[in-house]
Amino acid sequence: MALVRLDPNVTPFGALLGLQDELERFMRNPAFAMGPSGASAYPPVNIFDSPEGALIVAEIPGLDTAKLSVTGTGHTLAISGERQFEPDGGGLGYHRRELREGKFSRSIQLPEDYEAGKAEARYEAGLLIVRVPRAEHAKPRQITVQTA
Amino acid sequence: MADKENREIATKEKQQLAQPQEQTRPGRYYVPDVNIYEFEDSLKLWADMPGVKEKDVNVALKDGVLTIVGQVATDMYAGVRPMYTEYNVGNYYREFVLNEDIDESKISATLRNGVLELELPKREKVKPRQIEVRSA
Repeated sequence: MALVRLDPNVTPFGALLGLQDELERFMRNPAFAMGPSGASAYPPVNIFDSPEGALIVAEIPGLDTAKLSVTGTGHTLAISGERQFEPDGGGLGYHRRELREGKFSRSIQLPEDYEAGKAEARYEAGLLIVRVPRAEHAKPRQITVQTA
Repeated sequence: MADKENREIATKEKQQLAQPQEQTRPGRYYVPDVNIYEFEDSLKLWADMPGVKEKDVNVALKDGVLTIVGQVATDMYAGVRPMYTEYNVGNYYREFVLNEDIDESKISATLRNGVLELELPKREKVKPRQIEVRSA
């Protein structure tokens, strides 16, 4: 645990670079395999931590929110949905076809300190952003120091 | 396709861009996945750019080279620490050489749910002129 943390938010670009460095550092650390349902499961997620709770960001571009479902039970978060393209045809054909469509479903196990049942989810710019609050008993508590 | 109903999406690792030019802004660049479909009178392009907002997209067509750039928003990461990560966060950059004659002034772009949608109308062909051959 680092005692001193430099603020990477001095410049907006600094924030992006700092985030990148941290991501790489954490990706090389096998101790952080927290047990999502598989390394290649779709959608890929990044999980962040803050004093208020966990921030889960999944990259799922091009989704119709009516076809996206997020459920929280205990400390498990389940994400499922389907990406569909407009039917093609009437044209001359594809030059590139790299986007993927289809169904997906995965669940993410959080540490017991988080209450997935109280999560809030938002879909923005192709990102599913879920905030999971920390359980009351796990929140840092200010302790008053009394004089004798 | 017969199995279309039950098709599942597989995760593909983001491909980092081998820097084609020096950038004035720091940060990694990744190659966005695209679909390009050709119609009789236009080309349509879709590019996955999750995390990019409308104001941070740049599309340019110059000398037949189409360039798309998206700067990813990072404001939501202020004050949080990565706990577990599966993908890299970065900007998007991709270039295409277009063989079709595109009318630059009529290009339209929309960004919806992290997908850039471009409509590239082809330039109207100059009508062939019939040349009369007269006998001497």
